[in-house]
Amino acid sequence: MKWQKYLQVAKTSWQAGFVYRLSFVMWRVRVVVQFLAIYFLWTAILGNHNDSFGYTESQLLTYIIGTSIIRTFVFSSRSIDAQGEIASGDLSNYLVKPLNYFTYWLSRDISDKLLNILFMIGEIAIFIFVVRPPLFFPSNLIFVLLALIATILAIIMYYYFSFLVSMTTFWLPEENGWPQRFLIFVLLEFLAGGLFPLNILPPALYKIAAVLPPAYMLNHPLQIYLGKFNLQQSILTIIVTAIWIIGLREFANRVFKRGLKVYGAYGR
Amino acid sequence: MKKHFTIWHKTALLSVQSAFTHRLGVIMFSLAKLLRFAMFIGFIFLIHSQVKIVGGYSLNQMIIFFLVFNLLDLYGQIFFRGIYWFRNQVVSGEFDFRLVKPASPLFQALTRQTDILDVPLFFITLIYLITQVPTISPLAPIMIVASLIVITSIHIFVASLGIITTEVDHTIMIYRDLSSMARFPIDIYTDNIRALLTFAIPIALAFTFPAKAILGLLSFPTVIISLLASCAIFWLSLKFWHYAINQYSSASS
Repeated sequence: MKWQKYLQVAKTSWQAGFVYRLSFVMWRVRVVVQFLAIYFLWTAILGNHNDSFGYTESQLLTYIIGTSIIRTFVFSSRSIDAQGEIASGDLSNYLVKPLNYFTYWLSRDISDKLLNILFMIGEIAIFIFVVRPPLFFPSNLIFVLLALIATILAIIMYYYFSFLVSMTTFWLPEENGWPQRFLIFVLLEFLAGGLFPLNILPPALYKIAAVLPPAYMLNHPLQIYLGKFNLQQSILTIIVTAIWIIGLREFANRVFKRGLKVYGAYGR
Repeated sequence: MKKHFTIWHKTALLSVQSAFTHRLGVIMFSLAKLLRFAMFIGFIFLIHSQVKIVGGYSLNQMIIFFLVFNLLDLYGQIFFRGIYWFRNQVVSGEFDFRLVKPASPLFQALTRQTDILDVPLFFITLIYLITQVPTISPLAPIMIVASLIVITSIHIFVASLGIITTEVDHTIMIYRDLSSMARFPIDIYTDNIRALLTFAIPIALAFTFPAKAILGLLSFPTVIISLLASCAIFWLSLKFWHYAINQYSSASS
């Protein structure tokens, strides 16, 4: 019974995704364009070099395709709108209702991610059929399973991470919290490993980037898949991601409670 | 012309005042833009640490392509920031008020906002570019004018589509995603992609050709053809705008 209302929220969010059909189509076109832009950039960079940056051509292109796919699940998010609700005072509408604000946005996020997964499968299938890129498949299926677990954990981790960014709006409501969100977007673009594998960075920079939360969102799941992490490193990565989730969840809960104390319900 | 400059000057001043009401926001936005610029330069250096020649271009040339891309892209973002608010104007019916004013509605739609926060990065990019290019080919200014015309035309196309379909946000971002491919010279891509970025969506004309002209890699006839093509694109964009305006139904008013 408790979950039915959140299921309904997810259903409504799913349906809302199709309301503006042209907008929906353009959104998908955009996802595909972003994906193709980075794929063709890397094929051009690789040119005739079969081995570069410590990767074979198939490994590097699989990394680029893989990160492009999982970023649509990990980084797709409706909960970004929470910051606007905090800044505008619309949060008050939720506070007087018998629902958990985190779970409400989580159910909307899940719906959005399912929509992404559904369409991404079709788009990637067409891409592979048409372009026939050289793909890398690990010889040991355990790495596929571990990469899948790491990706699911990355989705949860990003949810709490993104929510924390939204909650900075309690203290910094300027422009609906977009300045801090934009700064985080820029940092994630590079530090998560979406543009390039992080281990091609100079060793000193890689050591720092590898332990930061963004690396666990894209780079590490793909490194597990490619077998760049051995079994022990892969399991350790999953454990560390789980610890990050617990920490971020606890921190997000505390920040939300503190935020409510300074919340002024502006515009209400 | 003078009237429109006065309008732009006023709205630009208001945009600046509005931006600086959120001082911390200004710092964070500016920091993010500078970080993105610096990190992408770092990315180019990273590539060249392993692949010395990309598509026949050296490190210095690749940096020039990126700087020229940045400079021209910033032109669109600084002056035509209004496009990001245009959908709201159409959907809410606010655009009606623009139509009754004694100034071009297209001009008002595009230049409603001026993004002052991109100006520091514009000058940083310009100075960096000047230090990288010892001598500029005399054909470069002509090609840069052609590029500015093309970028303006693309924004007019997007605004026109916005009137017909009420879809602007994704369209302008698709343009920006496609144009981001020109951070590197489009010659490095496969034939199909190159054809798409040259003939279907004139990204090459807007970003790669000016950089090539600066480097002295374009012939005089190519520059003249590019200028004529950009004028033709501009004329088409205006035709499309007039068609779109005729379709405007003022649905929300």
